[in-house]
Amino acid sequence: MINDYFLLAFKSIRHRRLRSWLTILGIVIGVAAIVALISLSLGLQSTIEEQFEAFGADRLLIAARGFQGPGTQSEGITDDDVSILERMPEFKTISYGSARPGEIEFKNEVKFPSVFGGRNGKELLEDTTNIAEGRYIDRGDDNDALIGSRVAEGLFENEIIVRNKIKIGGDDGKEFRVVGILEPVGNQQDDNTIYITLDAYREVFGETNQVDFISAQVKPGVDIIALQEKVKREFERQRGDKNIDVVTPKQILEQIGTILGVVQAVLVGIAAISLIVGGIGITNSMYTTVLERTKEIGIMKSIGARNFDILLIFLIESGLMGLVGGFFGVLLGTGISLAIGEFSTQAGFKLLVDVNPGLMLFGLFFAFIVGMISGSLPARQASKLKPVDALRHE
Amino acid sequence: MINEKIIELKEVWKIYKMDEVDFPALQGANLDVYKGEFLAIVGPSGSGKSTMLNSVGALDVPSKGEILLDNKNIAHMHESDLAQIRGKKIGFVFQSFHLIPSLSTLENVMLPMIFQGISREERIKKATELLKAVGLGDKLNNLPSQLSGGQMQRVAIARALSNDPEVILADEPTGNLDSKTGIEILNLLKNLNKKNGKTLIIVTHDEKISREADRIAYLEDGKVVNVKKKKLIFLP
Repeated sequence: MINDYFLLAFKSIRHRRLRSWLTILGIVIGVAAIVALISLSLGLQSTIEEQFEAFGADRLLIAARGFQGPGTQSEGITDDDVSILERMPEFKTISYGSARPGEIEFKNEVKFPSVFGGRNGKELLEDTTNIAEGRYIDRGDDNDALIGSRVAEGLFENEIIVRNKIKIGGDDGKEFRVVGILEPVGNQQDDNTIYITLDAYREVFGETNQVDFISAQVKPGVDIIALQEKVKREFERQRGDKNIDVVTPKQILEQIGTILGVVQAVLVGIAAISLIVGGIGITNSMYTTVLERTKEIGIMKSIGARNFDILLIFLIESGLMGLVGGFFGVLLGTGISLAIGEFSTQAGFKLLVDVNPGLMLFGLFFAFIVGMISGSLPARQASKLKPVDALRHE
Repeated sequence: MINEKIIELKEVWKIYKMDEVDFPALQGANLDVYKGEFLAIVGPSGSGKSTMLNSVGALDVPSKGEILLDNKNIAHMHESDLAQIRGKKIGFVFQSFHLIPSLSTLENVMLPMIFQGISREERIKKATELLKAVGLGDKLNNLPSQLSGGQMQRVAIARALSNDPEVILADEPTGNLDSKTGIEILNLLKNLNKKNGKTLIIVTHDEKISREADRIAYLEDGKVVNVKKKKLIFLP
C-alpha cells in the first residue's frame, strides 16, 4: 500500500512539473550547502591531522607562553633552557630554532618571507618535507640556505634556482647560497619560508641566545605524558616561573579540533538556515497543492480513502520532494567540496576532501525528514477536509 | 429477497449553517430503498436531492435522524468507518465524472482498491476487466484529458464497481453528456441493475431517465412527498 502511495505522490509531483522543481531546488541548495560545508571542514580536519602525523607523535613541543607562531615575539626561552632538556636522559634529539619575517634581496628585488633558523633540525625537516632539488642544510652550513617552493618560484619576479645567491637582513645583511629547494608542502606559510642554521640566523638578526621553540624527540618507550609533567616541573624549578608551555602534538591537535568543531557548527548552522528556507518552500508549495487538489481529495474520500490515507499521501509527496532535493543536493554539495578541495590544493593550500558515503546518506535522509515535516501541516489540513465540501470545490 | 430493505431514511434533517442564516436542505425526509431496485430521485432544484444522495452515500452526515444501511445506522458514525462504507458498499457516479487527472484510466479504476489494500496484481486484473466491460479495453493507459465525456463517465462507472458495492449512487450521471451518449450511459447503469443486481439510485431531473426507473421518489422542500411505482413489481 505504501508503494502505491509513493507512486501516487510521484505522479502528482510530475503532474505539476515546474512548480515541483522550483520547490525541490530550495532543498537542493540547502542540502548542497550543508554537505559541502561539512565535507570541507572534515577535509580540513583530516589535512591538519595528516600534517601533524607527519610531524611525529613522539615529540614534546616547547614554546614561551603566549607564543602564537613564527614571527611573533616570544620572551623567555634561551639556550639555557635547551641545556636543561639536554641534561635529561629521556630525549633523543632536541631540535630548536627561531623564526621571523626577514628582508630578502634577490636581483635587486626585496621581499619579506619567513626566515627560520634551526639547530639539530635536519632530520625533522627531512621527515616533514621532500627536497625538489639540491640538498638539505646541516650544522655548520652557515652560508647556505634551503628555500620553500614559493620562495623559489612566485615570490620574486625571477625564479630562484640552486646556486643562486640571496641576501638576508637588508643592506647590512649577509649573502647566502641557495643549496636546496623544497617541494610544496601545501601550506602557504611553510612554502614561503627560508631555512638557515640558527648560528647564521643569530648573526643576521643580531640575536644572542633566544630560542622561539623547541621540538624535542623522545626516546622509544618513554611515557610522553609523564615526561611532559617532569619537564614542566624542571623548568619551573630551574627558572622560577611558569612562562613555558610544554605540549604534545596530540594536545595541539585536540585544541585545533575543538576550534574546528565550533567553526563547523557555525557553518552548518548557516547552511541549516537555507535548508529551513527550502522547507518553508515545500510547506508553501504543499498548501497550494492542497488547495488546488481539494477536489481530488474529495474524490479520493468519496471512493473510500480514510483521513489517514490522505495524510499519508500528502506526507509522502512532500517527503519525496525533500528526497529528490536531497539527492541532487548531496551530489551538488559533494561536487562543490571536491572542486574546492582540488582548487585549493592547486592554489597551494592542501585540502584533502573525500567522498563521504555516510554524510551523503545523512543528507538524503535529512532532506526526506525536512520534506515530511514541512508537509505535515498542509497534509493535516488536506486530511481534515469534509468529503462533500471538498467535492464541491472548484 | 426483492422486498428486503437495503436503505432506510428516518426523519432525516440536514441543516446547513450559512453565515447567519440556517438553510434546511432536508427537513425530515423518509424513504425506503429495496435491494436490487432502480430508484430515481426527482424534484426541483434546491429540493435536497443531492444532499439526500450524499447522506445515503456517507459523504455527508445528517444533522438529525437515522440512515440505516443494511440495518446499521450510518448517520453518526466515525469518519474512518464512513470511509470504509464509501469504499466497500457504495459506488459513486458523479455528473462531472470526478476522475483524477494525473492518473491513467486504469489507475483511476484501481484507486478505490488501493484504499482497501487489495494486491497490485488483483487490482490490475479487476480494473482491466471492468474497463473492458464498459467498452474501454483499448484506453487503459490514456489520461482522462484524452477521453470524451462519455468515455470519462464509463471510467467513472468502472471505478464505482471496482470494490463490488451493493449500491450505485449516481448524481445526474448524464447531465454533462449529449443525449445519445446519455442513453448509452443510462443503459450501462441499467444493465448493472438488471443483470448484476446492483441497487441503483439516480438523482435526475431528466424524465428520460426517471421513466426507466422501478420507482420514482419526488422531493420537495427537503421531504419525500410522493413515491410512485413505475411498473408492477413485487413491492409492498
